[in-house]
Amino acid sequence: MNLEKVVFAFFIVLALTINFGFFLGGMNDVSSLQPVGLGAALAVSLIATIIKFGDRSQLGAVMLATSLVADLQLVIAALVWGYAAYATELGVTSQVLFGVSSLSGGALLANLVSVTLLVGETLSIRR
Amino acid sequence: MNDIVWLTMRRMRRPLITIILVFSVSVLGMVLIPGHDAQGNAISVGYLDAAYFIAILETSIGFGEIPAGFTGAQRLYVLIILLPNVVAWLYSIGTILSLFIDPQFRSVVERSRFTRRVKDLHEGFFIVCGLGHTGSMVVHALLHRGYRAVVLEQRQDIIYGMLLSDELASVPALAGDVSNRSLLERAGLNHEKCLGIMALTNDDHVNLNIAITCKLLRPGLPVLARSETPRVTANMTSFGTDYVIDPFAIFAQALFLDFSSPVKYRALDWLTSVPGSDLRELLQPPAGRWLLCGLGRFGSRVAERLDEAAVPYTVIDVHADRVRGRTGAVRGRGTEAQTLIEAGVSEAVGIIACTGDDVDNLSIIMTARDLNPGLSVVARQERNENDLLFNASKANVVARRSVIIARRVLLVATTPLLESFLQHLIRQDESFAQRLTARLQSILNGKAPAIWTVHLEGRLATGLAEAKLEGVSIQLMHLLHHSREDEQQHLPCLCLLLERGASRTFLPEPGHDLHAGDRLLFAGRESAQDEIAWSLSEPGALFGSATGRIMPAGALWRWLRRSSGK
Repeated sequence: MNLEKVVFAFFIVLALTINFGFFLGGMNDVSSLQPVGLGAALAVSLIATIIKFGDRSQLGAVMLATSLVADLQLVIAALVWGYAAYATELGVTSQVLFGVSSLSGGALLANLVSVTLLVGETLSIRR
Repeated sequence: MNDIVWLTMRRMRRPLITIILVFSVSVLGMVLIPGHDAQGNAISVGYLDAAYFIAILETSIGFGEIPAGFTGAQRLYVLIILLPNVVAWLYSIGTILSLFIDPQFRSVVERSRFTRRVKDLHEGFFIVCGLGHTGSMVVHALLHRGYRAVVLEQRQDIIYGMLLSDELASVPALAGDVSNRSLLERAGLNHEKCLGIMALTNDDHVNLNIAITCKLLRPGLPVLARSETPRVTANMTSFGTDYVIDPFAIFAQALFLDFSSPVKYRALDWLTSVPGSDLRELLQPPAGRWLLCGLGRFGSRVAERLDEAAVPYTVIDVHADRVRGRTGAVRGRGTEAQTLIEAGVSEAVGIIACTGDDVDNLSIIMTARDLNPGLSVVARQERNENDLLFNASKANVVARRSVIIARRVLLVATTPLLESFLQHLIRQDESFAQRLTARLQSILNGKAPAIWTVHLEGRLATGLAEAKLEGVSIQLMHLLHHSREDEQQHLPCLCLLLERGASRTFLPEPGHDLHAGDRLLFAGRESAQDEIAWSLSEPGALFGSATGRIMPAGALWRWLRRSSGK
């Protein structure tokens, strides 16, 4: 049992699941979105990206790329939310929250691709 | 470049993950613990304020507590998260710094920088392997003559030392195993502007390695290799090394020439001296018995040549097996008077000190001169640090290994035609050499001539092409006349060799025709070199020199002239 592989897979799947939880909440009721959820998703996504550094294979490069896409979406979502909350007079409207939710949906898709690649790699090794 | 980025990313993983974990936990805590504003009302710190505060805390900047003073609970929390945050930050900075100091990282950086500099070269360059005394002399001379150089050397400290010198600091250089194929390729083995490779290390086997590697990977590239062992020399020539430079053989041949034909030797010496230095009038070596101290690699070559020149000599050597079988040979070091007297120093006319140790050679010289003040002295100098000592010893000829190699390397690399000419000079009889020295003497001013090659192609052939269009054929004498003066003034230079395809004409007559593609070898003063280059590239110059008329410059005029009939 390889500890490094456990940690690697753990963080990748964790990123996907937290992201999914946040997105699902936003789908149902936008006003129920908590900043903590986005913060957690962003943090774990960043950690997952950093873990993917240093792998020079083709698969490693694609996984890094998908992680970076997810990071980008979540960072923009956080900025949008933060800007609306602190820098505008209107504050956080439901429109802003919808935007945040959709951005997190994009990140979810990227994380999904990353997990799919991970599963594919694992299955091909098990062969 | 790629390597560096990947290395950095790998190293920075752990620090970055630590920072993110610590940061996010700290921000979460800050958000959850309620603070109060300036009036004392309980508010919760927003995400932005929390992130701002933690970031300022982490980088150990520390502005102040926002939005107003912290509650006790907040301060307690900050106390707990303070140390982990700062440590995580310092850990990251430390990792980045240690990456820059890391030797592996630095060698990767240097290697990629070297490769990039070599790739960016757009002028002709030579790859020089080995930067000892010989190598650095060669590199300096190449730079001086307008060529570029790329250096490979085994010792890292020598490469660093290059940065201290003005000239050498801009030469791309890398330390490593010099015969390594990938290193040679990085140094530009397959570069289109590479003019040749020079293997000048002091290890013959390494030179052999380099020669083989280059001949296999790029057969058409000229390879110049240094070799001091006959076995390695034979090996190198067998697979087609273009020039094998054996300093001992070169010196022995020069010595032979000096004994057998001083006229030829003088001509050879004049043509191979450093341009601009004073011409030496060499005395013919006196006839009589010589003493030869030391029969190693150098001494044995000299002995062969002395035999060829029928010069009587007595061998003095400390090894018994070398002394055996030679009549009259004396066993001893030659540094004591006893050995020299036994060998007959008082009746000898000259002594050749060619042991492998400089101190021994100097001692031999001094002792011998003591016993016989009129002795001619030829000395071998191995190490460059002893230059002053050998100068002070007032030996007639000093054989400096590095200098011999460097001069020959430069000769064949920059003016290959000269070597053909010198071979011809040696093979011809003395009248040729006599003619040559007479003509050289008339144009030189007691200073050694500059030697240069002119290849009549490209830009330099424009003058020829223009003249041919006008139906005028250009001859050598037109080139040798000073085109810019009105009166017919001869340039202070001499054409030594004209090579057209496979045929060679030595000391061509002034009336010789010039065609495009010819290669000409000149010897003379440097001012002549510029004049000739000018008259070749300036369209009207040769024409005017040949016909005395001014060539029509514009196309219109030419068309008018031609249509109206000449």
